[in-house]
Amino acid sequence: MCFETRFADGAMSLKSELQSHVASLRRYALVLTRDPVAADDLVQETLVKAIAKADTFQPGTDLRPWLFRILHNTHVSDLRRAKTRADAASDLPEPLARECQQTQLELKQVLGALDQSPEAQRLPIILVALREMSYAEAARTLDVPLGTFMSRLGRGRAALRRIVEGVASGKLSLMHRKEGGE
Amino acid sequence: MTRKEDRDPVPDTDLMAYVDGTLPPEKTAEVEARLARDAYARDAVAQWRHFDNLIHDAARTADTQPANLRIAALERELARKLQRRRRWAILTGPRLRQVAASAVIFAAGWGAHALYDRGASMMNGAYPGFVSQTLAGHYSYTLAAHERAAFGGDQMADALAWLSEEMQQRIESPKLERLGYRVESARLMVVDEEPVAVFYYRNPEDERVTVSMTPRRATQPDYELRVARVQDERMAYWTSDRLHYTVVTSSTETPVTTLAAAVQE
Repeated sequence: MCFETRFADGAMSLKSELQSHVASLRRYALVLTRDPVAADDLVQETLVKAIAKADTFQPGTDLRPWLFRILHNTHVSDLRRAKTRADAASDLPEPLARECQQTQLELKQVLGALDQSPEAQRLPIILVALREMSYAEAARTLDVPLGTFMSRLGRGRAALRRIVEGVASGKLSLMHRKEGGE
Repeated sequence: MTRKEDRDPVPDTDLMAYVDGTLPPEKTAEVEARLARDAYARDAVAQWRHFDNLIHDAARTADTQPANLRIAALERELARKLQRRRRWAILTGPRLRQVAASAVIFAAGWGAHALYDRGASMMNGAYPGFVSQTLAGHYSYTLAAHERAAFGGDQMADALAWLSEEMQQRIESPKLERLGYRVESARLMVVDEEPVAVFYYRNPEDERVTVSMTPRRATQPDYELRVARVQDERMAYWTSDRLHYTVVTSSTETPVTTLAAAVQE
């Protein structure tokens, strides 16, 4: 295949590849920020940084973890500046299956529990839930060894379970107390 | 009975891989057998999967958000930058090094006489006539009064056959495609009653290269490789196999000696 064809094919596949990655970045950013406007701001900031760093990208390596790492680092920097993600959960758009109020309630519980989890455990859970990349790619995104990533994911999921069950049992006991008092 | 607190802190990679669908098939049956007899593991798997689904669905709501024009513009700009980066990596990869090496051999084979001349003295007779004509053609694409035939970039096979016949010797394609250039046209011109084959190339950065070949007559001298700079253009010319060659380029990325080597190969 001549260079001309290679370049033309490469440009086309790069465009569609990038389009798919940017859609993934918007999803990740939305879960991180819980706010569509803030999510798009984060993606924009990520792309601006990626453009500035494009000369450091190693062709032949995977673009997705590279972009996610930039977004992740940008988000962490933003958090450090803002120091808080106060009241963010209430701004998350309703899930597609909006007919189920129970789902909404559970989502809020899970996101609330995620907020209570250490950041090192929260991010692996979100990255895996996106189903956009392998464990190894997700580990590269967070710049940690695979073993560390797996450990954080496992501990994070266990902690998430405990927090959600704790919240649920707390609500249950509150309801029982109310019922008993009436 | 095992309490949750006793079991949760140890990450169970097999269970996690099972939840995430990344468990190898040979281990899946093993994990499913375990789930059948371990209610706690079963419960953990169900809950992790449920949490994952909730987060996944929440993330997918991003797909229903309106398109963001600023993001789309940045995406296009990044694609351009990365494409340029990718292209440059190819050009500076093993293939280009091979061509660059042959450029050195090519120059050395002529006694390493290549040298750079500066200035615009070419038009006042400091350079052979075929070089001046090529440079003029590079600036204006063609000297219409001298043009005998023109072929599009997609007619190269026909062009080479026709040019070879007209010039009574085999004319090879300059083969600059491997350096990322696309041939735009090939033309036959007649200057001072001498046929000149001219090829026009362009790369994705819109930089042009003009290559000319004209037969060396018995009365004309052979030229060793010379490299010159005229205003913003770089050019090389030499004689080989009874042909005078000239390469003129506006490219700042590909050295003119590399182009010359590719033409000569």
